Amino acid sequence: MAKPTVAPVMRQKPLVPWLYLLPAIIIMTVFILYPMINTVGLSFKNADGSASAEVTCREGQPCWGAFENYRYALTNELNTSSPKAFWESFWISSYGNMIKWLLGMVSGTVIIGLVFAVWVDGIKSEALAKSIIFMPMAISFVGAGVIWKFVYNYGTSQVQTGILNAIISAFGGEPVAFLSKVPLNTFMLIIVGIWMWTGFCMTLLSAAIKSIPEEVIEASRIDGATDFEVFAKIQVPIIMPTIIVVITTMVINVLKLFDIVYVMTGGNFGTNVLATRMYTEMYTNSQYGRGTAIAVILILFIVPFIVMNIRRFMKEEAMR
Amino acid sequence: MISLTRTKSNGKFDLTRLLTGIGIVLILLVWLIPTVGLLVTSFRPVALINTTGWWTALDVNNGPESAQHPDPNASYVEKLGTRFTINNYVDALTGYRGTKSYLEDCKSGTKPLGMSCSIKDLLNPRGMGRAFLNSVAVTIPSTILPIAIALFAAYALSWMKFKGRYAVFAILVGLQVVPIQMTLVPVLRMFAGMGLNGTFPAVWLFHTGFGLPYAIYLLRNTMSALPKDLFESAYLDGADHWTIFKTIILPLTTPAIASLAIYQFLWVWNDLLVSLIFLGGSKPVMTYQISNMVTSLGAGWHLLTAAAFLSMLLPMIVFFALQRYFVRGMMAGAVKG
Amino acid sequence: MKHFRKLFSITAILLVFALLLGACTKPAPVETPVDAPVEEPVEAIVDGIDCTGVKEGDVVSMLYQWSGEEEAKLTEILTPWLEACKASVSPESSRDQALLDTRVQAGTPPDVAFWQVPQLTQYKDKLVPMDTLGADKSNYAGYWGDIGTIEGKWLGLPVKADPKTLIWYSPAAFEAAGYTVPATWDELVALVDQMAADGNVAWSMGMESGDATGWTGTDFIQDILLVTQGPDFVNKIISGEIAYNDPAVKEAYEIYGKWAMDPAYTVAGAEGTLSTGFNDAILKVFSDTPEAFMVKQSGFASGTLLGTYPDKVYGVDYAFFGVPGAQGLQGGSDWLMVFNDTPAVRSLVKYLSSNKGGETWATIGFDLTPNAAGNAFYATEEMIHKAELLSSATGFTPDIGDSIPGGFGSAEFKGITDFVNGGDLDEILDSIAAAQADAMTQ
Repeated sequence: MAKPTVAPVMRQKPLVPWLYLLPAIIIMTVFILYPMINTVGLSFKNADGSASAEVTCREGQPCWGAFENYRYALTNELNTSSPKAFWESFWISSYGNMIKWLLGMVSGTVIIGLVFAVWVDGIKSEALAKSIIFMPMAISFVGAGVIWKFVYNYGTSQVQTGILNAIISAFGGEPVAFLSKVPLNTFMLIIVGIWMWTGFCMTLLSAAIKSIPEEVIEASRIDGATDFEVFAKIQVPIIMPTIIVVITTMVINVLKLFDIVYVMTGGNFGTNVLATRMYTEMYTNSQYGRGTAIAVILILFIVPFIVMNIRRFMKEEAMR
Repeated sequence: MISLTRTKSNGKFDLTRLLTGIGIVLILLVWLIPTVGLLVTSFRPVALINTTGWWTALDVNNGPESAQHPDPNASYVEKLGTRFTINNYVDALTGYRGTKSYLEDCKSGTKPLGMSCSIKDLLNPRGMGRAFLNSVAVTIPSTILPIAIALFAAYALSWMKFKGRYAVFAILVGLQVVPIQMTLVPVLRMFAGMGLNGTFPAVWLFHTGFGLPYAIYLLRNTMSALPKDLFESAYLDGADHWTIFKTIILPLTTPAIASLAIYQFLWVWNDLLVSLIFLGGSKPVMTYQISNMVTSLGAGWHLLTAAAFLSMLLPMIVFFALQRYFVRGMMAGAVKG
Repeated sequence: MKHFRKLFSITAILLVFALLLGACTKPAPVETPVDAPVEEPVEAIVDGIDCTGVKEGDVVSMLYQWSGEEEAKLTEILTPWLEACKASVSPESSRDQALLDTRVQAGTPPDVAFWQVPQLTQYKDKLVPMDTLGADKSNYAGYWGDIGTIEGKWLGLPVKADPKTLIWYSPAAFEAAGYTVPATWDELVALVDQMAADGNVAWSMGMESGDATGWTGTDFIQDILLVTQGPDFVNKIISGEIAYNDPAVKEAYEIYGKWAMDPAYTVAGAEGTLSTGFNDAILKVFSDTPEAFMVKQSGFASGTLLGTYPDKVYGVDYAFFGVPGAQGLQGGSDWLMVFNDTPAVRSLVKYLSSNKGGETWATIGFDLTPNAAGNAFYATEEMIHKAELLSSATGFTPDIGDSIPGGFGSAEFKGITDFVNGGDLDEILDSIAAAQADAMTQ
């Protein structure tokens, strides 16, 4: 029997798809779309959103008119007095930190998640091992903050209550202030992030690996492939779509990341990220205009990744 | 590197397997130790928590004098007994707010504020016991609703042809970018107008709204990866969309549903901001109670350690329970390849 | 297929269970001794508490930042009023200002809130003046009224004060080392130098405090300013008349920096100051082998210390003296502010500002009460000593960082941590002054 070459899609009454979609569309419009549009307008007003933007312009200072809040959001952390000062201030600004988080946490979680998923696949205590890696996801951010306080704590010269500094002083070193030393602290926070999210990546990638048909693996082994070759040449290419989904999801999560930084350092000591800045401006400083401007910039950073994803889906659709 | 259960065909000692095994153990240790630290700490009296590291828990002579066993000639086991306590857990469960501990106060006859020294104290509004029930009431519907709605929407977007399917998909998935903090005030105002503030449905709806974009994204990806042969035969047999949905889609996407359920459950269970703002302190959830274990002056860390552990128990059980749905072969060929 | 059916039925059962739970879960921990509310007005004056207009079972919704022990104390203080007026409260506790903010913005604020001074300005259009509510102003010193009056309206009732201009020490340790409590600022400086010469570390400092890291440092700066310049100067900084990069402020930073960054004067020098938690810094002075002799901290320090070392005795193992030479006190204060005018709220306001309210607060000992009626009722030696300091103070300045709205607070914290980290003082002061100017334009 000749198979159709086009994806078999059934014709249905024109309303049916919308029926299936309606609850989702209604809820998302009400809870996400409408409030977002509602608040975006505030970003074009003055700093606390109560009057027009011109109010914040001052004599002798650059003024971007209605985009005044955006100017603040983009340039406030940067020191433009010299190239060197700019470079340094960039790397501890929320933008520099975003780059660090993206590189560190996305690669960390995906790579460790993938490797671990492959290593434990099929061994006897697989469920237990995966649960241990997954466990940090079950711990709320407040809980994680407490846990890592007992790892990073600075303590006193006589007593260490933080395990890392205890190990360092046992070897005769000076305790390190992990959470206040710039730029070390951002990396210590990224470690916490990786600890928490690797379980998520591992779960999805593990499901994907398990879906690879046995025959394909057996066939390659019979052909004499080593473990590593099977991994690199068979498994990874087959689950690549899932890997990309996982990477994209992690990128979005990292860009929106708020709790870890907020709970552990509040964004101080050069650990600020966009989400904590937005929260601080909106709720600690009551500057709604500035807060929403930062939120819009955050959204703009995420959009390219979504677009990339949708494009990929459309390419796949064409092949279906 | 595939699996430790496979043996090399030549039967020789497999170095890779050994290294892999060591690698696994190392990673597991790094992952476990911080949490073990918290677990040990949660069983220690507060005086020791602030002054000594948790790994010294078994060293009976460590720590300030006031925390030592009163009798210097007591045996090791007796001294060890003073270094561990379940007070943190009892105090956290009952929401004890005094200066000593729930068990001490009840034993000495003075009833702590707001409590009756009976089993009813487990439901004290300030305790983790009551908060557990509230968290469950918040989380389960907030997990089930978005998944149910997303299943329908994802199916429509993957296997139905209609105008605008790409645009709708793009928008729905694109809504993932919106940070929650931006939406709080308008939604709160809306709920106030509808009289929903401080009620459970308010939180259910909000979490559903925010859970949908990712849920639809993941489910659509899984659904569209299903082999078209299944659908072809079904269409040719005259099945309509609802039948296909029921008999093909749902069973085959079970692992994805399970993943999503775990993810959404955790997200809602561990959320503080949304419950705080829409439900309020009159129906405290576990995260709310945990954040209030520590007073504004930073006292009460010992209660926090116990409370954090209590809140971890159910999510871990859920994770374990849903593991069985990650079964090899269930998704034979289901993930796009 | 089998798996799916099972999942589906479990899900359905769970959903029903959760929905039932949600429907049946009892709401609000309503703190009331009354069983069945009856709709009749209560006796007007009971036990010195004015309950006019309150109906039995009236509820006042409250939002405050206290939890645990602190909340328990507040409940004890409110109990006489609850019992006399047969009202009840629906309390919520959160240190997250986002909660208060979103509620007010959305038009659903709590009836009353206990928060800080800047909120009086922030919500000035939504608060009900205290005079309208019948608060008794006579129990409060003049400066309290001044702080609580925004644009001519008395918007906040001060209920709790905790002086910060205190230095805690161990009398036993002082005696053993032959030190005496300094009476003037110069004596304090000399004492610190003496300690360093003896090889002892004078100060224990800790700035680490999560997202508010740096507040102990800015407190110290403000206390130094109280010594060198006086409370008017500080109040002018708050109002913006004096810019933050004034030479007097720079001088205060330099005095502080000399101590804070040098391991000879402070435990672990700059590193220690930056990374030690503020609670840990208190404990260092009173541990079995103390690491320092003094810590400058607010009144709550004794609570922290007793939490870890419950056997210490005030006057013997620990005590405090006011920062010598300070012309006035700096302190934290909590204020009652009212969003909804109801009879029960009026009664509550009258209670707290009355003699009975002041007496109860002092007896329970939830820090100091600005209500002068409580002055004679403090129960412990420590509280009495603090109350003396407060009542003899010629001025009370709130924390500068807490009082200037907008991003000033965080700029100040960031500035002082950068300073201790070795940053350029002039640049830092200029940037804080810029934040101050920025806040003034709002």
